[in-house]
Amino acid sequence: MPPDAVDRDLKKGSGELLILSLLEARPRHGYEISKLIESRSNGAVSFRVASLYPLLYRLEARGLIQGRWVEKAGLRRRRYYRLTSAGKKVLAARRAGWEAFVEAIRRITGDEYA
Amino acid sequence: MPDWNQAIRERLRGLNLDPARESEIVEELSQHLGDRYAEMIARGVAQNQSFRSVMDELQESGLLEGLRNARQPAAREPLGLGATSGTGALGGVGHDLKVALRNLRINPAFSLTVVLMLALGVAGATAIFSIFNGLFLRPLPFPAPDRLVDLNEAAPKWNLTQVSVSNPDYMAWTKGNASFDGMAFFSGGGANLSDGAGLARRIQTAAVTHQLLDVLGLKPALGRNFFPEEDRPGGAKVVLLAYDLWRSLFHGDPNISGRIVKLDEQPYTVIGVLPREAVLPPEAEAWLPLAADPNQGGSYYLDGIGRLKRGVSIEQAKADLMRVHKGMIRSLKAEVNELTFPTVIPLRDRYLGDFKTVTHILLGAVGVVLLIACVNIAGLMMVRGEARSREIAIRAAVGASRVRIVRQLLTESLLLAALGGAVGVLAGKACLAGMVSLMPDSIPHWIAFGWDARFAVFSILTTGAAALVFGLAPALQAAAVDALSCLQEASRSSMSRARHRILSGLVVCEIALACILLVCSGLLIQAFRTVLRVDPGIRPDHVLTWRLDLPEAKYPKPEQQLAAYRDLVGRLKALPGVTDVSAAHLVPMAGGHEGNFFIAEGAPPLGPNEQNPVILTVVALPGYFETMGMTLLKGRWFTDQDVAAHAPRVAIVNETFARRFWPGQNPVGKRIRYASDQPTPWFQVTGLARDNRHYGLDAPVRPEVFLPFTVAPRVGLAMVLRSSVDPGGLVAPVRETIRRMDPGLAMFQVRAMTEWMNRSLWTRRAFSWLIGAFAAVAILLALAGIYGVVSFAVSRRTREIGIRIALGARPGDVMIRVLAGGMVLVALGLAVGVAASLAVANVLESMLFGVSGRDLATYLAVAALVACVGALANSIPARRAAAVDPIQALRVE
Repeated sequence: MPPDAVDRDLKKGSGELLILSLLEARPRHGYEISKLIESRSNGAVSFRVASLYPLLYRLEARGLIQGRWVEKAGLRRRRYYRLTSAGKKVLAARRAGWEAFVEAIRRITGDEYA
Repeated sequence: MPDWNQAIRERLRGLNLDPARESEIVEELSQHLGDRYAEMIARGVAQNQSFRSVMDELQESGLLEGLRNARQPAAREPLGLGATSGTGALGGVGHDLKVALRNLRINPAFSLTVVLMLALGVAGATAIFSIFNGLFLRPLPFPAPDRLVDLNEAAPKWNLTQVSVSNPDYMAWTKGNASFDGMAFFSGGGANLSDGAGLARRIQTAAVTHQLLDVLGLKPALGRNFFPEEDRPGGAKVVLLAYDLWRSLFHGDPNISGRIVKLDEQPYTVIGVLPREAVLPPEAEAWLPLAADPNQGGSYYLDGIGRLKRGVSIEQAKADLMRVHKGMIRSLKAEVNELTFPTVIPLRDRYLGDFKTVTHILLGAVGVVLLIACVNIAGLMMVRGEARSREIAIRAAVGASRVRIVRQLLTESLLLAALGGAVGVLAGKACLAGMVSLMPDSIPHWIAFGWDARFAVFSILTTGAAALVFGLAPALQAAAVDALSCLQEASRSSMSRARHRILSGLVVCEIALACILLVCSGLLIQAFRTVLRVDPGIRPDHVLTWRLDLPEAKYPKPEQQLAAYRDLVGRLKALPGVTDVSAAHLVPMAGGHEGNFFIAEGAPPLGPNEQNPVILTVVALPGYFETMGMTLLKGRWFTDQDVAAHAPRVAIVNETFARRFWPGQNPVGKRIRYASDQPTPWFQVTGLARDNRHYGLDAPVRPEVFLPFTVAPRVGLAMVLRSSVDPGGLVAPVRETIRRMDPGLAMFQVRAMTEWMNRSLWTRRAFSWLIGAFAAVAILLALAGIYGVVSFAVSRRTREIGIRIALGARPGDVMIRVLAGGMVLVALGLAVGVAASLAVANVLESMLFGVSGRDLATYLAVAALVACVGALANSIPARRAAAVDPIQALRVE
């Protein structure tokens, strides 16, 4: 599927879920998030500056993630985002909803079990 | 490496960010772009191409907007799936509406049920309320009607609550009171109206004091009101015509004032036309001045209406009149005043009857029906919400905000409420028209059963609010950011259980409510049937009655009047199909009353606290008893000898009279006379008649005396005709016979005896009928409620049922399980309902005419009906459960 075939709205709606999922394992910085999304979706989904950072800031404003500048020896400081406890709850809900949604889509589109 | 900071700062300039925040963003984005650039270089992309690509990314649209909005996170969350981004607060309304319509179409059965439920609630409650409003609540058509009171006198020693008012009393009250803006008095009558060309028509008249129109707060529609000097003995003979009479008989002639009409052969000058609102005195078609003689004191014959001064209470007015009245006793002007005292009650209570109990019960019933409708809608909306909780969760998961989801559900609920309301208004209007056409025609003629728009709005709002509140509840739960657990399978089913408990509670409530109405309705129907079984003491079928008044100008002497009536009786008997004809001055159940006090010879003396009862006195011609179909228990009826000149004075008494005065003795041969300080001549009792229900089938029988015409002559009598054919067909030949005898005579109040009997029952009939209608609506709603909830429970348990069947449960067992579950609710509701009904039935007691409020048959019938309805409502989902295919069921979840 070419990247632009992914519906804009779908991406917009699912972006939150994607980011929260990626932050579940450990804190990450913006560029890392965008790279992971791109690589794990084989390029089908990509978040660039214009869409990624506004979303990150919004999630942060809602208290679902928290950003913190981390300095490591010999490197420039980077802003790492981690999942808050509220974010964990939302992630659980979004994930279940997403699974239900995907299941619903699957049933509608007729992808039967083998 | 290029300096991204500068480019980013340029890009963000328009945002006017807080400088500290801006430098943070610049730093973060600069690192991102730097990483991207480094990566491309590492992949071997040319420097300038890499630079351009990264700069392009920075220039992408959406960045500025995104950053700007990131500062107000709640306001602009992403829309739900499939939503187009509207602009502004109203931008999405059209879209919401479209989605709502689509959702309602997806589940037409649900949408239809909710709309029907709303419609039924709105239509039923509003139509019945409109009837009720017309009968009992609508104000009288006068300005400030709450300041109008009925003035009367009570005589407790005579056991009478309304003896009417006498001339000296009304004059003293009018002059001496300090609490009324005005008082008026009137006395009803009748006259033969002719316009000189020989056209005779009987009309109802009222002799009124000149203040009446002012007291009512009305102005003549045409011409002028009475002058005070016309309202004195010997005043000018003038008349005000009622609006309808003027329209029908005088074709709305605008120049009617000054015209001469004849009333009972006397010329009267028309001075004007009454306004349409002049509905009191009841039925009056023309007003004449009362012109009362202040020196004639003995007779109590006037009805009074007073307009209270602003701020004066009925109690104050009563005390004020009492003061005036006592003053008269002191001045010894009227000794009889010690026996009577003034009464003041709201005008409405007098003319619309004492419907307080009825009013409260009916209002309660309206409330119950609306409540059931609300409960039902609440249940349905909860079922719907439960079924949609997954969908709602998905919408939330893919980013639809809580506000957004609530708005969507709100739109759907509103749409349903609007549809239901609209259908309800249409159905209610049709329903009202149907009910009005079934109403008896004997209700006071000014009552109009208008569609009560305010109540329609009220019921739409009530049911609509129920739809909204319960429609939103699941949205608020499911869409709450913190209450996310609703999506997790385990907690979701427990949520279902909680909700199912609420739903079951609602169903129990509505069964109980419906039960109460059914019991009330059943008891009233039992009472009505008991009343219908009461022996009227007459044979009303095939009897035609009408009134006839002989003008005294033409028939001045009693002998002439008797001769005229006997002549007419003879002529009518010759008509084919007529078996018997006679007359009496009052007929049973026609609403007439004449009371006198009698002394019965040899009766035990009155005890110290005993009151001499008022005796219903009826003047009859020979043959009246036989024609009316009364039963003679002892002695004989009147004969022609009893009305001959110088015949011995005789009387016939009824059972109640005999029991009261001569308990256990044969009254025939005993003597009675009018109670008076002067000796009055005796009447010898010649016959004992079985009691007849003079005051209506459901009213008590009073002692009654019949006197022959010659001892108490009357110019006006009610003619009674018994026929072997349908009496309705005899009206025309009878009228023709009367016209041939005397063209100046008019027959009026022409009615079959059965009609009088039905009319005497109309309040009871209307009331029982209304409660019955309420009960029917209630049980229908309850049926739908049970069905909805049990269906819902079954649909939620499809998987469980599937597993049971897969594990070997037989469909029959499954069906019984589901049925039993549903019937437990029915049984609970029934138990609560019966308990509540026992309490409510106490309130009804006064309407029950001897039927016990604990009438077992009624309760059993209601229980059986509710059980049947419950079983019916449960059987459909139970069958569905039994038909569950385990394979399908397991796949559903």
